[in-house]
Amino acid sequence: MKVTLERAALLKALGHVQSVVERRNTIPILSNVLLEATDGTLKFTATDLDLAIVEAAPANSVADGSTTVAAHTLFDIARKLPEGAQVELVAADGRLALKAGRSRFQLSTLPKDDFPAIADGELPFSFMLPSLTLKQMIDKTRFAISTEETRYYLNGIFFHVTDEAKPALRAVATDGHRLARVAIARPDGAVGMPDIIIPRKAVAELRKLLDENQGDVKIELSSARIRFSLDNAVLSARLIDGTFPDYSRVIPTNNDKRVVIDASTLAESVDRVSTIATDKTRAVKLAMDNDRITLSVTSPDNGTASEELAASYGGDALDVGYNSRYLLDILDQLKSSQAELHLSDAASPTLITEEGDTSALYVIMPMRV
Amino acid sequence: MTIRRLPETLINRIAAGEVVERPASALKELVENALDAGATHIAVSLKAGGRSLVSVHDNGCGMGLSEMQLALERHATSKLPDDDLSLIKTLGFRGEALPSIASVSRLTLASRPREAAQGWRIVVDNGVAGAAEPCAMEQGTRVSVEALFERIPARFKFLKSERSEQGLCLDHVKRLAMVHPQVRFDIETEGRSLFRASPDMANGLARLASVLGPDFADNALVVQVNRDELNLTGFAGLPTFNRGVADHQYLFVNGRPVRDRLLLGAVRGAYQDFLARDRFPVLALFINCPNSFVDVNVHPAKAEVRFENAGLVRGMIVGGLRETLARAGHKSSTTTSTAALGAFETGTSPVRASGNASGWGHHAPPVFTAQMSEMSLAYNAAPSGRITSITAIEAETDFPLGIARGQIHNTYIVAEAKDGLVIVDQHAAHERLVHERMKKSLAEHGIKRQVLLSPIVVDLDEATAAGLEDRSHELAELGLVIERFGHCAVIVREQPAMLGQTDISGLIRDLADELASYGTALSLKEKLDSISGTMACHGSVRAGRHLNADEMNALLREMEITPHSGQCNHGRPTYIKLGRTDLEKLFGRR
Repeated sequence: MKVTLERAALLKALGHVQSVVERRNTIPILSNVLLEATDGTLKFTATDLDLAIVEAAPANSVADGSTTVAAHTLFDIARKLPEGAQVELVAADGRLALKAGRSRFQLSTLPKDDFPAIADGELPFSFMLPSLTLKQMIDKTRFAISTEETRYYLNGIFFHVTDEAKPALRAVATDGHRLARVAIARPDGAVGMPDIIIPRKAVAELRKLLDENQGDVKIELSSARIRFSLDNAVLSARLIDGTFPDYSRVIPTNNDKRVVIDASTLAESVDRVSTIATDKTRAVKLAMDNDRITLSVTSPDNGTASEELAASYGGDALDVGYNSRYLLDILDQLKSSQAELHLSDAASPTLITEEGDTSALYVIMPMRV
Repeated sequence: MTIRRLPETLINRIAAGEVVERPASALKELVENALDAGATHIAVSLKAGGRSLVSVHDNGCGMGLSEMQLALERHATSKLPDDDLSLIKTLGFRGEALPSIASVSRLTLASRPREAAQGWRIVVDNGVAGAAEPCAMEQGTRVSVEALFERIPARFKFLKSERSEQGLCLDHVKRLAMVHPQVRFDIETEGRSLFRASPDMANGLARLASVLGPDFADNALVVQVNRDELNLTGFAGLPTFNRGVADHQYLFVNGRPVRDRLLLGAVRGAYQDFLARDRFPVLALFINCPNSFVDVNVHPAKAEVRFENAGLVRGMIVGGLRETLARAGHKSSTTTSTAALGAFETGTSPVRASGNASGWGHHAPPVFTAQMSEMSLAYNAAPSGRITSITAIEAETDFPLGIARGQIHNTYIVAEAKDGLVIVDQHAAHERLVHERMKKSLAEHGIKRQVLLSPIVVDLDEATAAGLEDRSHELAELGLVIERFGHCAVIVREQPAMLGQTDISGLIRDLADELASYGTALSLKEKLDSISGTMACHGSVRAGRHLNADEMNALLREMEITPHSGQCNHGRPTYIKLGRTDLEKLFGRR
């Protein structure tokens, strides 16, 4: 194999695939990235056996061929090469020679036949989504993914389709304290697709790829695996084998107290008052009264903070405590729109949506303060 | 097959299986008898770790011939005068020990009461009693057990080595010696004295020290609590005086040594905040309560007891110990400073050690090997110690931790107290102060609870679920709100907000186990403490931070007024103190 490519192209492709590779591996080949040169492109493949990314970069291939080399090392080298450098990669005699400007590297390789082949099996369901739509679905839910490993079925985003009045594709994530749900119109081809849970790591890698993707994303899936085909890259992942809990029960339907307030104003105030909270919990209390919200935080060490905000509210006076970080996570998704909070009492879940738009909804459980 | 009544010897042997397990348990029964007989001097003699001979000689009230013959029969005892098992004042009461031992060994019983003219002796050989014969002896009773289990291979096979059997014998007698300080004990084996304790008429600390080692006396705090009719006395070791095993916790109920899980759990709970999980305190606690409050007739060897109100006892132990430890304030154990003293080299001359042991400069030329070792910059770092201006210690300012004189390596504060030199680990000390402050504020403001979006159902067995339900109010105080869910499950509705995302069902199962065996929700407290401990660690002054004189003095003053500031969160000392005499010793002035 002998191939020349731009440093920028090398760096970009490696940047995408190297984060799939775990820092420590018990199987040595998994530390490596598979390089395959075929007319005009260099293909990069990395996998941790659950997740695989294949990315293609334009390259000038003199002699086709393939090899595998340590992913993190190659990435670090690419990062430190001067901008605009031409990088030449030559694989011969169990080594990969890398030449760029005056730098010379000889990297040890492992035979490409040892690299695990990625078998997706049959993926019977297939549909297209615009990059932006998929990006938003991920952004609005991923903050609520649980990191606690014993309830592994919460460690991802749950995708499923509904056949209600308006058929929809929904993405849901929860960690037992809050929940986020986004719905879009059901795309053609998603009819009858199985309920799936996409693991956290795959979500994070996909999100990175989407940043630089222009065209639509082709999604193919079975009940065990999913594949996303982007402009230059293909990501395939094993799905979480578990049952997502029936989340619809925790979304409150008759919360009668309704507050409307500018999301970013509320977020800024919450952030400001919670500055003085020293402990890990960062509880903030919201006191709702006639067209007014009073935020307050009490810290035994630092003192107290409060801030009053104008809001549209007509119900009885109500005090509710929240974990300020949970609240900020949600308000961040609403950006500069008007947030609509539906409350019932201080111990029941609160529903938050964008005013007049229920495509994305968030549920947060209060804290007892 | 017909049902028949078992012969008496067989019955005794079966009973012996419960009571007499090994020489040590026979010895325990005999020494207890001696104590019940009101002896003031008990001499024990062992051969081959008790395998060939256990002999107990006391100066108690003694027995007449007819009593001796009766004593060798089963369920014959002088100890239940009212025939009421709920009012047991003596150590023994079952009337089983002597006949049981006699059925599995060659037992010689000799006794003379004070008023009798002569003593009598009876030999029982594996359950067969010989004729009584008169013998010469002083007042008291002498029991010799020879060839224990010689005819019971099943038991004999499982005896341990002489050395470990002897250790067990010693342990049993020592436990009894601790609780009877006024009685003189002598244990010898083949002419060699193993343990000797003279009567201690004072508070018993001297006796404890003779059992637990002289260090204990210097590091023990007096415990004295009264609650209703209950009374807890004894000595608790400082947290910094800890051990790697739980063997050095001696608990006594009404003068009876017990190893009760409830009591051990309460001790662990009391020390839980001051010691790492794998370290254990050293202590001796004596619980006195009305005889009707406690049931000792639970366990044949009487190692376990049952209390009428276990919660009260647990509360008394935890409360009493915590209060005692809090009173100790910043005290840290003397063994740490002794260890520090030992670490001082009495340097011959301050010559920098060369790499060569012989001292004579045969320096090999440096050889570069292919393997590169990390080379440190040998720039002979100048000592970074700084001295604060010396002011004489004024008479009226009597600070136990003294006045800061300087900081070494930006890590240790050196202070001069009236009676010696104090060295403080600034990070450990400050970490503890922050931790104590956070604990206080948690206690004052309560633990914040996060309500769960979807309650978590944890499947348990019925007894465990019921146990958790009974203690649910206690868990709620710690921020965990649970409810019973059907017969065999509990449902968690709220969790401590501090824990963030955590494995709730694992926690519940751990808690259930602990409530069952120790009676306290240790792991939840430990989890909360470890979080506040970690936060304390991040929020405190690090090693390597330069402190000025005012900062150092402020730290010392705060340590003096903060309880438990003598040890860090893991039971290591935060400071050591070298007394003036210690310093003088170092320089050979004493």
